[in-house]
Amino acid sequence: MATGVDQAVGMSLVGFSLLLFIYYSIWVIILPFMDRDHVLHKYFLPREYSVILPGIAAVILLLCIGTFTAVVMWKNRKPKKVD
Amino acid sequence: MTKLLEWVGGVLVLGAAWALVTFDLLDLSLPQTYKEVAWPMPLYLLVTFGCYSLATVGYRVATFNDCEEAAKELQEQIKEAKEDLRKKGLKI
Repeated sequence: MATGVDQAVGMSLVGFSLLLFIYYSIWVIILPFMDRDHVLHKYFLPREYSVILPGIAAVILLLCIGTFTAVVMWKNRKPKKVD
Repeated sequence: MTKLLEWVGGVLVLGAAWALVTFDLLDLSLPQTYKEVAWPMPLYLLVTFGCYSLATVGYRVATFNDCEEAAKELQEQIKEAKEDLRKKGLKI
């Protein structure tokens, strides 16, 4: 078994993804079947955000990957040889 | 029937079913709640897959056995590789 920090990080990843899955599932699948005045609606944003927020997350992820690639490529550019 | 054709066929069938419900192509007059649940389905499946991947990575990090010697050896090799690349001119 892994020890210490590894276990903590691993288990917190599992817990975080479980929470995210449950919250998103309730948001997308269960809320439309609840009446408008049910108390559960208080804890969730309007449903448009259930599409916009993952979209923004995906854009940020792509930006980070692209920025890292650009920075590494920039640091390794070589000036063209002049004959 | 290759695996690729199987997968493409499956995706096409599911995609057609989703499009039928979301865009009301057959004018089935489904209740509004079913349409509201159906249209984010592709995104929902993607988020579910992402959560499952994250959970699997986390679980395997937590249950992987520590190997002290292999860890030291790996650190040595990382140092060697960095030196080698630095000599050849790569800057990180």
